[in-house]
Amino acid sequence: MIESFREAFGRALVEIGKKREEVVVIDADVKGSTKTIYFEKAFPKRFIQVGISEQDMIGTAAGLAIAGKIPVASAFAVFLMRAWEQIRNTVARDNLNVKIVGTHSGFSDYMDGSSHQCLEDIALMRVLPNMKVVVPADAYATKVLLEQIIDTYGPVYMRLGRDYAPRVYEDGTKIKLGKANVLRKGKEILLVAAGTLVHTALNVAKMLEKLNVDASVIDMHTIKPLDEKTLLNYAKRAELVITLEEHSIYGGLGGAVAEVLSEKLPRRVVRIGTVEFGQSGRDYLALLDRYGLTPDKIYQKIVQVVM
Amino acid sequence: MSEVLTVKLKEMLKPVNGFHMNSSLTCLRILQAVLELKKEEDTIIISKGHSAPAFYVLLWKMGLISDEELMSFAEIDGLPSHVTRGLPFIEVSSGSLGQGLSVANGIALAKKMDNKKGRIFVILGDGELDEGQIWEAAMTAAHHNLDNVVAIIDRNYHQLTGHTEDILAKEPLAEKWKAFGWEVREVENNVEKLKETIIELEKINDRPKVIIARWNW
Repeated sequence: MIESFREAFGRALVEIGKKREEVVVIDADVKGSTKTIYFEKAFPKRFIQVGISEQDMIGTAAGLAIAGKIPVASAFAVFLMRAWEQIRNTVARDNLNVKIVGTHSGFSDYMDGSSHQCLEDIALMRVLPNMKVVVPADAYATKVLLEQIIDTYGPVYMRLGRDYAPRVYEDGTKIKLGKANVLRKGKEILLVAAGTLVHTALNVAKMLEKLNVDASVIDMHTIKPLDEKTLLNYAKRAELVITLEEHSIYGGLGGAVAEVLSEKLPRRVVRIGTVEFGQSGRDYLALLDRYGLTPDKIYQKIVQVVM
Repeated sequence: MSEVLTVKLKEMLKPVNGFHMNSSLTCLRILQAVLELKKEEDTIIISKGHSAPAFYVLLWKMGLISDEELMSFAEIDGLPSHVTRGLPFIEVSSGSLGQGLSVANGIALAKKMDNKKGRIFVILGDGELDEGQIWEAAMTAAHHNLDNVVAIIDRNYHQLTGHTEDILAKEPLAEKWKAFGWEVREVENNVEKLKETIIELEKINDRPKVIIARWNW
């Protein structure tokens, strides 16, 4: 079943808004695209429009948090990064309770091309003290993790794709902020993935069965703080660790996993992600294929490494 | 009193080669006026964070920090060189220019939502107005009729590497703020004049207010 990240986000916000009076939503004129428009319709007095000004949006969110609100500031991931310095110097430095949600990350805004495709945000957010970084794998995970993000004090960056969200989790599955989900227990190879590539990793693991390679699959939905314990437990029994992300291999999930393993449990790590900017495409999956992020391409790459 | 504070400021900044001395000298009276008028429910945001020394001198005058603490300025674990959250009256850390007005708007919006009283005073530098975020925030405040926001610009005509009008012209400054939908006052940088203006501006209740405090060198 294919669902939509932003639909899940927009609807979950409304449900959370019913329970938590302090939750307010702030927008930089993309409410129709991020789906925070649902929150505006449900709670018009708790929705703030600042126009196309992401830096002002982050500063305003900081003020709302100082005054005791739980602001959710949402826009396209790449344009939120325009406010990186505001996020650093005001939100993260003062450890303010601001929730930042970047939609349209990775290649998911395929039509708009490289300016809109955010492949650097995990790295930029992960480097900040106090900041948590969360990348849900599907629509269900988006809803469950958003609830926990709202209930946990402190700044959080949540990274979402636009629409394409193949189901990974059954309703009711336990997903806990800060705790990786082990989706498949194998031996020789460990696949660590985040976002849409969790579903892809499960497909790749099935393909590897044909070669009698038994792969573990971990959904590392919380990239910071990283669940080192689960990572080390599963890396211990593997000869090769492969990271999968719709993001640059520099500083993202691959960087985070390699940092931990090189210090605590040296293993060969192959980082699969991007090393260049994207481009326009008429079809999301075709664009993923161009950048080597489909199950077939990933499988081929792993076979090359193993053989 | 101002003379005592100026002497103290210079004494405090002697070990650090004067650290943005001018910025603090011209900000002293503005901060003094705001602190003297500040009520419990009011908020102060020092957006031009490099005027922290002036603020510390006033805290010293109020008995909130000791001589020893004052002289610990910019020492490791001493008073930070730019104001940080957690100091008396300080709700948000500063140091990076252009961010305080947005934060003030956020607090102002929250107060409006909750029907809470209280003004939000934001101290801005004139050089700081080069930052685009200031003008984003100026539009946001006017759009949302944030009459609980009172910005005070330390118009000292000086920014880091020269005269403000040489580096990047600010004039016509009052007209710019008016065009952005703000109620504007231009006054001499003087404690009593500033206090009178702040009180007079309380009557305006449909738009944000800005005071351009002109320094005569």
